[in-house]
Amino acid sequence: MTGKEVYKKWTPTGKRWVDWVRPVPFIGIDSPYQVHEFIDDSIPKIFYVNNLSKDTAIIIDIEGVDSIKEGIALAHLGYRPIPIFNGTNPSIGVSSTTNNAMIEPLLVWGALELEKIVLEEDAPPVFLLDRNRLNRYKIDPSIFDNSWDIYPQDIPSPDYFLQNGITKIVVRGNQLSRDLKKVLYPYQKKNIKILFTNGYEEAREIKIKKIKEKEL
Amino acid sequence: MKLVSIPNYEEYRVDAIFDCYKWDPQFLDHNTLAKYALVITEKESKELAELTEMLDSETRCAEEFLNRHLDLAKRLEIPKKISCELKRMKEYDPKRHIRLMRYDFHPTVDEKWVISEVNSDVPGGFAEASLLPKLAIRYLSKSRKSYDSIDFGDILAKTIAKKIKRNGTIMFVHCTSYSDDRQVMQYIGDKMESLGFHSLYGAADHVRFENREAMSILDGNQGKIDCIVRFTPLEWLKEIKPKTWAGYFDTTTPSCNHPIAIFAQTKRFPLIWDLLEQHGISLETWRKLLPDTIEVKNLKGKDGYIYKPAWGRVGEKISIPEACSEGEYQTILKDVRRHPKRYLAQKKFLSKPLKSPDGKLFHVCLGSYSVDGNHAGFYARISEKNRIDSDAADIPVLIERNKKDDRKRSL
Repeated sequence: MTGKEVYKKWTPTGKRWVDWVRPVPFIGIDSPYQVHEFIDDSIPKIFYVNNLSKDTAIIIDIEGVDSIKEGIALAHLGYRPIPIFNGTNPSIGVSSTTNNAMIEPLLVWGALELEKIVLEEDAPPVFLLDRNRLNRYKIDPSIFDNSWDIYPQDIPSPDYFLQNGITKIVVRGNQLSRDLKKVLYPYQKKNIKILFTNGYEEAREIKIKKIKEKEL
Repeated sequence: MKLVSIPNYEEYRVDAIFDCYKWDPQFLDHNTLAKYALVITEKESKELAELTEMLDSETRCAEEFLNRHLDLAKRLEIPKKISCELKRMKEYDPKRHIRLMRYDFHPTVDEKWVISEVNSDVPGGFAEASLLPKLAIRYLSKSRKSYDSIDFGDILAKTIAKKIKRNGTIMFVHCTSYSDDRQVMQYIGDKMESLGFHSLYGAADHVRFENREAMSILDGNQGKIDCIVRFTPLEWLKEIKPKTWAGYFDTTTPSCNHPIAIFAQTKRFPLIWDLLEQHGISLETWRKLLPDTIEVKNLKGKDGYIYKPAWGRVGEKISIPEACSEGEYQTILKDVRRHPKRYLAQKKFLSKPLKSPDGKLFHVCLGSYSVDGNHAGFYARISEKNRIDSDAADIPVLIERNKKDDRKRSL
């Protein structure tokens, strides 16, 4: 499948939420960047969600590969997976801070899995993030920094969520990252409940404190 | 000038993403790719091209004069970290570098053009101005009209190619964490690769300078660079503080753009026009097209002005009340009171909206590029608001060919 064909599987025409799928890793599918690692394509068991809640959006913020696999697992429960990976690849042979390359074959795998799943028109979204995006450490100045942050403009506004019946956002991760804290604070202000889970325990409501620019 | 609907829009959007480097098709709740094409007449195209070249000639004259008379540039309030390096530019040779600018035109209710600014330092929209019109023409091929477009990328790439050695290495300097910067660089980088050059993608601090020549320190690609194409704005570069960033100012390596762009990049540029004119620099076209621009402190008793930040981008912090989001207008006014020299006051113009085929009204910002003084194409955005900002959508610009010309061609 070409990047365009894979993208179309993740963004079926006219479906809610799909406009927010970020095209960047799909573009990379057509590039000559080769992945030689073994891909474990087993679908994980989800412990923190038992069934579909149409008033709940989920944000998965774990390793990109696992994020896609959990997204597909949640699609089996009725959620629409929306990959919002936004990191670019370095030129061939250039070392980088973040390895985005493994995301691309998993998106191809996910597209094939999505072909087998029928989602309802009003399926709530599960946004897929890669926590490795925040790897900024450069062992040497020559390294290409392709780390990235999530920004408010990368997901629907609080009003859009509310207009579409979403009143809760569950973040699944190891911890609530600083960029997500900044993004989600206005949602909390608009009375959308923010919950957090480490993936094994039930999601619990949290209160996000306002982050000052200097702390970012 | 009119808006024409693009048939089969959903397919067009996907093609724009994959074939036209449009990697940022969504911004918050807004689709950033218009469902229309902006069609201008050949007469409008010619008029805009002429105005662009006249503006460009004046701007380049002014910046080269200021470079020789830095004391006159003080009123521009260029940040200290930049202004202290300006003296390094004294050997600036315009023939060595590539000068790229984009002038933003707006149609007004009194059937005139005004310009809101020049994107002097790092104008974007490269692929949208080059590939998107061709894609739109393909989608409109069943229409009876005959459309054409100007390939900006082709003009820029050929100009760069003329100034550097064959098969040379070009470093595309950008903020590597931002995919929307990379899409601009990748388009022109691929274009240069297709002409036989070697394209490198790196950040500002991947460039070091030795004997005023640029060298790459990018992993696996160390060595001499033959050209710098920069998309990191100078005022951001100053914040990033790469150890050798001052080298950008006096490098002999061909640069697009060279930091000389800073003089016209600040929106305070019009505040020194009187001074420039006293020294014989003509700014006649600028005066004709830019609304009256004054210091904030001189606004007392004058009506109909808006505030603009001196270093603003993409319409941010412009105080058009009806275009501001909730609370934004008051926040801008507060900031203007606190930092009046970081803003300027400009007479508000009345933009004339265009009606789409489905009856919606859109304001237009029609960017017109110049490369080394020659007109090089168009990049446009439309918005339902009269401020063209991040909520605006990119729209391909097509030129409607005269039927007379068609007849001539067929004869």
